[in-house]
Amino acid sequence: MISVSHVTKSYAASARPALSDVSVEVGKGEFAFLIGASGSGKSTFLRLLLREDRADSGALVVAGHDLVTMKPKHIPVLRRSLGVVFQDFRLLQGKTVAENVAFALQVIGKSPKEIAKVVPETLDMVGLGNKATRRPHELSGGEQQRVAIARAFVNRPKLLLADEPTGNLDPETSEDIMLLLDRINRTGTTVLMATHDRHIVDRSRRRVVELVDGAVVRDDARGTYGVDR
Amino acid sequence: MAAVTFIASEVAQGLRRNLSMTLAMIITTAVTLGMLGAGVLVVITASASQDKYDYLNEFRVYVDRSISIEDPDCEADCATIAEQLESTDGVATVEYKNPTQTYEEFVDLFASTDPVLVESTSPDALGSRFTLTLTDPTRAEAVATELAAVEGIEVVQGQGELVERVFSILDSIRNAAFAIAVVQLVATVLLIANMTQIAAFTRRTAVGIMRLVGASRRYTDLPFIIEAVIAAVVGAVLAVGGLLVGKSVFLDRILDEAYRANLIERITTSDILLMAPVLVVAGGVVSAVTAWATLRLVVKD
Repeated sequence: MISVSHVTKSYAASARPALSDVSVEVGKGEFAFLIGASGSGKSTFLRLLLREDRADSGALVVAGHDLVTMKPKHIPVLRRSLGVVFQDFRLLQGKTVAENVAFALQVIGKSPKEIAKVVPETLDMVGLGNKATRRPHELSGGEQQRVAIARAFVNRPKLLLADEPTGNLDPETSEDIMLLLDRINRTGTTVLMATHDRHIVDRSRRRVVELVDGAVVRDDARGTYGVDR
Repeated sequence: MAAVTFIASEVAQGLRRNLSMTLAMIITTAVTLGMLGAGVLVVITASASQDKYDYLNEFRVYVDRSISIEDPDCEADCATIAEQLESTDGVATVEYKNPTQTYEEFVDLFASTDPVLVESTSPDALGSRFTLTLTDPTRAEAVATELAAVEGIEVVQGQGELVERVFSILDSIRNAAFAIAVVQLVATVLLIANMTQIAAFTRRTAVGIMRLVGASRRYTDLPFIIEAVIAAVVGAVLAVGGLLVGKSVFLDRILDEAYRANLIERITTSDILLMAPVLVVAGGVVSAVTAWATLRLVVKD
């Protein structure tokens, strides 16, 4: 699902590369954590997978799309096969919960009939079926993240990328979000989650890829967060 | 169909949410397009007014009264004169008017400004006339000398120097108006670019989310482009309205005397109405292209 090989990425503002010769393979249906301290390159890695940025060198293939040779006009096709969740939720405050989720389908031209069917199903799945008409500011942080996850999953993507999805949530709510991501993973969707939440990583006992200063230092099949670095 | 509905609702929302910005854009495009239109009108009027002064560049050759009366159809003595005129070096065209035609021309010219003169002039008072244009106006003196040898005519020379002065004034007015129009056009483009940038900035979260969930550029860019085009077209329509009002309320009054003295060509309502579609289309196209180019620069893939 994700094949990253010898990828290096530098930014003009920094002398040290954000990613240095990184190689990672994530198979179909897998659940993997991408861990590391702030500035270790997690977000850069996710940005490259989303084709928000281009690598300086190396090969990247995501959900069957070769990101190195991909033309800008084909980027939307890549993103339709992905779902993305962020720490800050990124919901549209002027729209209701249902409208936020529907938005992801509207902009890719799905019919109103299909949207009317799929959106309530997805909201039920994330446990917000009864809050479809609320606005984001009326919801708790955990609920807002559920809306964001519903939006990311409503198009049934092959791959879900989550950038610190529990970063703004208390431990109990984080646990609920993890259960939700686990459920999504069990539908066959590959999940790659960047986090520095030690507790979650240790409890999950899933694959752990660790980045330190832009380089992969560890890739354990059933890992823990490990010692502080 | 779903796409059209979605984009239409985004446009409506955008225009409503950024109401003050939309109004600012409409007003400023109205002002700039109005000034552009005014500049174009000045250019048209200046060019049309030049035609009024073309006669100053011509030679008028008045045929002796006796020949005029005996030979109004220019077949005998008059025809000999015509041949001599045509063979004169430096003469480009020779046009003949018989006494009836010169009288009609005189009536046309003075009927509205001096009816008493027209009434007191009998139809047979004027003779026939040739009008000569020159291949090269600077050779006027040489032509005059040669024509002096022809018998049976009286030559009135064109006033090249005066023509040059009138034309140079009209040319400067036209050039100034054109320069202002160009500056206005540049200002309009920059303004639309600014407005589009601000609109894109205020909605960067929505656009960012649209891009993330796989919306094509058509979806993300079209609402902004359509908003810019709507504002520009409304602005252009207001500009045309402003020009019509400005013409009837101010220009017609200020220029009334100049019009009546036949000094400049009249600016008509149809001049403005003919220009209206050009202003509307130009406003729409310029805003669409500017908004599109701006979004290419400010919205990332």
